[in-house]
Amino acid sequence: METAENKKPRIKVEKREHASPIAQIVALVGAVALSIIVTGLLMYIGGADIKAGFIALFEGAFGSRQAIIESLVKATPLILTGLATVVAFRARIWNIGQEGQLYVGAIASYWAYLQFNSLPPIILLPLIILFALIGGALCGLIPAVIKAKFGVDEIIITIMLNYIVIYFLSWLLSGPWKDPNHYYQQSPSILESAHFPILLAHSRLHLGFILAIVAAILIYLLLSKTPLGYEINALGLNPTAARFQGIKVVKTMIIVMLISGALSGLAGTGELFGVIYRLKSTISLGYGYAGIIIAMLAGLNPLAVVPVAILFGGLINGSYYLQTTTNVPASIVYVIQAIVLLFFLGARAISLYKIRFIKND
Amino acid sequence: MIDNLLQAAIIINILSSMIRIATPILFAAMGELVAERSGVMNMGLEGTMLTAAFIGFIVAEKTGSLGLAILIASLSGAVMSLILAFMTITLGVDQIITGLALNLLASGGTLYWFRLDYAQTSLENTPLVDILNPINLPILSDIPYLGKIFFSHNILTYLSFLLVPVIWFFLYKASYGLKIRSLGENPKAADVTGTNVNKNRYIAVIIGGLMAGLGGAFVSIGSVERFFPDMTAGKGWLAIVIVIAGNWKPGRILLATLIFAFLDAFQLQVQSIGVHLPYQILLALPYIVAIIALISGRARSNAPQSLGIPYHRD
Repeated sequence: METAENKKPRIKVEKREHASPIAQIVALVGAVALSIIVTGLLMYIGGADIKAGFIALFEGAFGSRQAIIESLVKATPLILTGLATVVAFRARIWNIGQEGQLYVGAIASYWAYLQFNSLPPIILLPLIILFALIGGALCGLIPAVIKAKFGVDEIIITIMLNYIVIYFLSWLLSGPWKDPNHYYQQSPSILESAHFPILLAHSRLHLGFILAIVAAILIYLLLSKTPLGYEINALGLNPTAARFQGIKVVKTMIIVMLISGALSGLAGTGELFGVIYRLKSTISLGYGYAGIIIAMLAGLNPLAVVPVAILFGGLINGSYYLQTTTNVPASIVYVIQAIVLLFFLGARAISLYKIRFIKND
Repeated sequence: MIDNLLQAAIIINILSSMIRIATPILFAAMGELVAERSGVMNMGLEGTMLTAAFIGFIVAEKTGSLGLAILIASLSGAVMSLILAFMTITLGVDQIITGLALNLLASGGTLYWFRLDYAQTSLENTPLVDILNPINLPILSDIPYLGKIFFSHNILTYLSFLLVPVIWFFLYKASYGLKIRSLGENPKAADVTGTNVNKNRYIAVIIGGLMAGLGGAFVSIGSVERFFPDMTAGKGWLAIVIVIAGNWKPGRILLATLIFAFLDAFQLQVQSIGVHLPYQILLALPYIVAIIALISGRARSNAPQSLGIPYHRD
């Protein structure tokens, strides 16, 4: 067998430690191009004129001042769940529980709202935000503690928690917190005094957007300028070496999960008190999972998360506009997100290889 | 007397539901066992099952042939796992992220297609399909109690339970199964003895995908007349947990599956006889138990040594 193979010209594939920057850019552009082609195909299958479809997608995303601001609104939770992923994945902690942590943040802040809504907004809003951070962080703490104490992989625990949280929320909304005047599982409307302040008149852009941008800067500083950031990166690069360097792996992991959970919790409260004004089970339209995709596309760079999240926010609004103008279901957005991630992963992996053709005789 | 009869009826009902509920998870878990024994963790199991559930529904709806629907659903599971195999085995992409991407693709793709073809305006009043009829096995189904519990199910249920000894025999007695297991334990040694590691890992993952596909088909056309988005509702993830809780052994995986299925059957019964317990707590129960199972099962790990590690020659 060996000899038969040796007579043919062989393709030798070598793996490199790091892809060259050019290879990385080519990979990214290639992945985006392929995703656009597939998106066009999906629109065609959906019975839309492809050109009109793309125009609608862009118009809905960034076609007017109003559209741009709305895309920033949609980007707000995505920036936060993206950052939550960055912090965890940098340490190679596979937190897939952003969706659940987002909801726990919303639940905790709604609880705080119920307790303190007689207080003036200047005290009430910080309390709401604080409880969202704590709620999300506690939800992140559970898998961290289980991993530290029992050595159980965090991935599956975080996913199980996503399911458990959704059922818990459903129970809250069908019983104790249900709006008695409505058939659907949702809480009563939130008092106006607890709404997040609007940043621009006649828009829905709220305080949460500022918080998200501040969070991005803080996470950037944390990861690149602080000892903790160094420890997080060291843990991600090589946990064994990190241990030898005296880094307390368990402590770092727990801090990472607290921060990651808190960021997702903030995303949840922003949607609740900034956009929807009711607790319900459709606060997040998969923002937790989209955050993971965004973080991957941003190369786990906290500052790059912001523009990628804005693009994704635009994509969501664009898909709504696409639906109203062409009848292509807006759920196309979920397919596009997944396709972009798959192509990106594939292209990035390929960019790590150097292919050489060797002639044997 | 009547009380006794009622109690017996309830118990038979619960146990019969247990067998039914175990079916899709058993398919997926047995398939996952084969893949993981070869060293590849298919974290896209949930999406693989969902895809197959949808494809099964579509084929049944368009052709009216349940046999064809099962076949194509199973093949769609194989296609999903082929994508996973290509990404993780050939390209060496992280298995967790690849699995996640596949799950999102399945969730989004099925929703998109479903909306397009069946539910432009609403997710209610979508078309119904015929589902697999139960087959009462001759003689066996006449046995009092046991007949109703074990021998009045549809073809997929029988097949899933039949697979347990088959997979056991395959992995432990057949030479090809031994080869598959050696890939998960020590791929380098297998390579040295002339086994093509990656090719055989592909085969193991695809076998797993075919089986997850059968499980997915059961979720739609094996049990309910309609499709709804994300209808697999975590069954793929439970199957992954069950492989761990079953310590990578077919018999124990069967046992773990039955325990989870019993819980689910029990909660259905509790709901139907109107016990006042929030149904959401009952629905969350399998996931809570899954976490407990993972915590308590960690000590006796029989996990393949090279699970999750891509293989390439140095």
